Amino acid sequence: MIEFAQLSYRYPDQPQVCLDQVSLTLPAGSFTLVIGPSGSGKSTLLRCLNGLVPHFSGGEVAGSVRIAAYDPIALGPRVMSRHVGMVFQSPEAQFVLERVEDEIAFALEHAAVPREQLRIRVEEVLDLLDLAPLRDRLLTTLSGGERQRVAIAATLALQPEVLVLDEPTSQLDPQSADDVLQALVRLNHDLGLTIVLAEHRSERVLPIVDLVVALDRAGRVVSGPPREILATSPLCPPLVTVARAAGWQPLPLSVKEARPFATRQGLAQQDAIAVGKTGEAGRASATGPTRPPRPYLEIRGLEAGYGNTPVLRNLDLTIAAGEITLLMGRNGIGKSTLLKCMIGLLRPRRGEIRIAGRSIAGRDVAAISRELACLPQEPDSMLFADTVADELRTTLRNHRLPVNEALIDELLAQLGLSERRERYPRDLSIGERQRVALGAISITRPGGLLLDEPTRGLDYEAKAMLGGLLRQWSREGSAIIVVSHDVEFVAEIADRVLILGQGGLIADGPPWNVLGNSPLFAPQIARIFPGRGWLTASNALQGLQQK
Amino acid sequence: MTPRSLLLVHPVTWTIWLGTTLLTVSLTRNPLYLLLLLFGLTLVAETERPTGRATPLDPIFFAVIAVSFGALFNAATIRYGDTVLVALPASWWLIGGPITLEAVVFGMINGLVLSALVAGFGAFGTAMPISALISLVPRAFYPLAVVMSVAVTYVPLTIRLAGQVREAQQLRGHQVRVWRDGLPLLLPLLIGGLERALQLAEAMAARGFAADPPSNQVRMMLVGGLAALFAGLLLQFAWGQVVAASLTMLIGTGLILWALRESGQQAPRTRYRLYRRGIRDMIVLLGAGLTLIAVLAPWPGRASLAYTPYPMLQLPIFEPLLALALMGLLMPVAVRLGDRYLP
Repeated sequence: MIEFAQLSYRYPDQPQVCLDQVSLTLPAGSFTLVIGPSGSGKSTLLRCLNGLVPHFSGGEVAGSVRIAAYDPIALGPRVMSRHVGMVFQSPEAQFVLERVEDEIAFALEHAAVPREQLRIRVEEVLDLLDLAPLRDRLLTTLSGGERQRVAIAATLALQPEVLVLDEPTSQLDPQSADDVLQALVRLNHDLGLTIVLAEHRSERVLPIVDLVVALDRAGRVVSGPPREILATSPLCPPLVTVARAAGWQPLPLSVKEARPFATRQGLAQQDAIAVGKTGEAGRASATGPTRPPRPYLEIRGLEAGYGNTPVLRNLDLTIAAGEITLLMGRNGIGKSTLLKCMIGLLRPRRGEIRIAGRSIAGRDVAAISRELACLPQEPDSMLFADTVADELRTTLRNHRLPVNEALIDELLAQLGLSERRERYPRDLSIGERQRVALGAISITRPGGLLLDEPTRGLDYEAKAMLGGLLRQWSREGSAIIVVSHDVEFVAEIADRVLILGQGGLIADGPPWNVLGNSPLFAPQIARIFPGRGWLTASNALQGLQQK
Repeated sequence: MTPRSLLLVHPVTWTIWLGTTLLTVSLTRNPLYLLLLLFGLTLVAETERPTGRATPLDPIFFAVIAVSFGALFNAATIRYGDTVLVALPASWWLIGGPITLEAVVFGMINGLVLSALVAGFGAFGTAMPISALISLVPRAFYPLAVVMSVAVTYVPLTIRLAGQVREAQQLRGHQVRVWRDGLPLLLPLLIGGLERALQLAEAMAARGFAADPPSNQVRMMLVGGLAALFAGLLLQFAWGQVVAASLTMLIGTGLILWALRESGQQAPRTRYRLYRRGIRDMIVLLGAGLTLIAVLAPWPGRASLAYTPYPMLQLPIFEPLLALALMGLLMPVAVRLGDRYLP
């Protein structure tokens, strides 16, 4: 059993407490989800469980934590590592060796576990997490999900009673994230392992957890069964938003639980008249009057690849100004290759790419990026200046443009960063850092924007803010292309969805056509109300009101 | 039963092979043998390279750079040799004077030696998993070995991060024009590297990894040993007391070794993989032994190892028997290719 009693914690040199008199009890064998906005102290709470807080981070602690008979604050991470295993966000940042089997055995060797036991434990965790076929593989050759499972296996080898995971799926695609979550469910059900998991995208975790711990920005905590907490929490997935508004009781947490409510209201059956109407109407009202599409980006007969491996073959695509286009597809299918071709980082083998009517052939990346700016997956790799405003000035100087302070102020205001203007960018939250990077690439006022996985690690609030910003820029005429696995985000903002398959595009159309009918990419709302063209909570609420 | 290992020969055998390779390359100035060694060692690295791992540094590519740079540098700075290719005005600072063919060739040979050494280390690094390297380190130095392994694991990560940073800066119009333009590339790489290091340190702490504080007894022995060594040096060089100095330094060395042994025993570790010696080790050791005898034993063919292009360039001597003996270093290739036929 895990017990927090009046635990308060303050980081060194911080005036405010991060955790404020946290009291909660998590039974042994339970599966607990920790939710809260960015910076609310989720990671800090988890780190209290194995003594990393305060032993690694310093700071002031009051109150107590108990894991069964152990006191992590007194014992520290070294002793607690035998009882509490911890898995972090980035699998790469926790590996010491280079092969799967050696990595799993590493902590056991260090703990001087007798060799006979050591072998048994390695074999056990390899089987538990379906890693036996990968045992000899180099970690660098594994997918993100496989690497995260290796990290879990390496932690479990020490046979802890509690497994703590800090946003382990935030950097994974949906399939890899599902693999990891399924593995956790198996560990919880079969071994009775106590699991505490922090996660932003609660829609995929809520159906499998027993308890939810919700933190607010003041470091206060409420906990209880998921239905109880989600009934009032502002951080809830679209399904719960609709269920709460419709007054469905008991509150459904999964698509399976929600379907009977939709059936009872006569909304689950496919209705030819209703198909697409609400979705289209909703979209039209969001985008304003229809404009004749003006092509901004044109791709003709594109072929690209690496070495002897072709990735894209004979791809044709036109993106219009004022359109938000979402590009989806499984990992490794060529989405990044396509982006690299568009911005000149990869030279196509054949075909032509035109931006604003001009071919990009022979132009350098800097010149192309003035017309089609690109936000990479890791915005941190872009930030280095002393202040947020300096980041924007640097881009203007790079392009030999005059530094226009009024333009910088205007863009910072649009990005919601005016108050952060003089702050050091790397001290900001992940959502804010991403907006700084977005400002750094868009200060040149390009006509097009490419964003590669912009919602990774963002909470619901930050995602909503990003969505609003992209909508505004789209209304002002920007052509926006977003690569994302986040179907709920896609459903909220897209005008058009492209799905990339082997070699080229396999689907292209409005979101309610492409996503609504896809077994893999359909958002929660489309699964509850199949055939109605509703993709988002607002679509569904509007439809329910009309009904 | 021992866990399946991808290493076909024992780590100690690989270490002996590396030692022999380095010694052989260091003793050879004959460009023909050096070329033979370079290609042979490249072949060893290629056959040992695990599936999916990119070559960190292509030895042949490195050789092209090193040989070219060696030739240019030597030609520009050395004035010996009879065959003058071109004479630069003597007034030209540093590079003025005759450029000789012999200096060019000597520089190329230096580049070849360096390339063969890099190829030898490259083959060893490719063949040996980090866990096997750690297993070679005495227990007392275990924390240091883990730190080294972390550093090695970080190299490919850092290379990838550097690529990300370069692309990200290009996307905001960055171009390197003067040295200060390197800052946008260096700073995110440095800060990102530090952030990753902190994350790893935290992850390792969470997995229970922390160096054991040495006991007071070990500390005392270590301090005593170092003091004795220092006193021995003083006795030797300040007062010329050779016998007393040697004795004091011997005691100091003994104390330090004892302290390390004690420290190792206080931090028990177990090993997951146990490497056993067998017929494959025998083949590799025999090959290395043959090479070693050929380059060290006093026989007529050994003279062909030495070569100098000065004062006038001549063709190096090629001794087929010696070349054959050098091929003993290729036994890891034979073991890898013939593995299925070996017991």
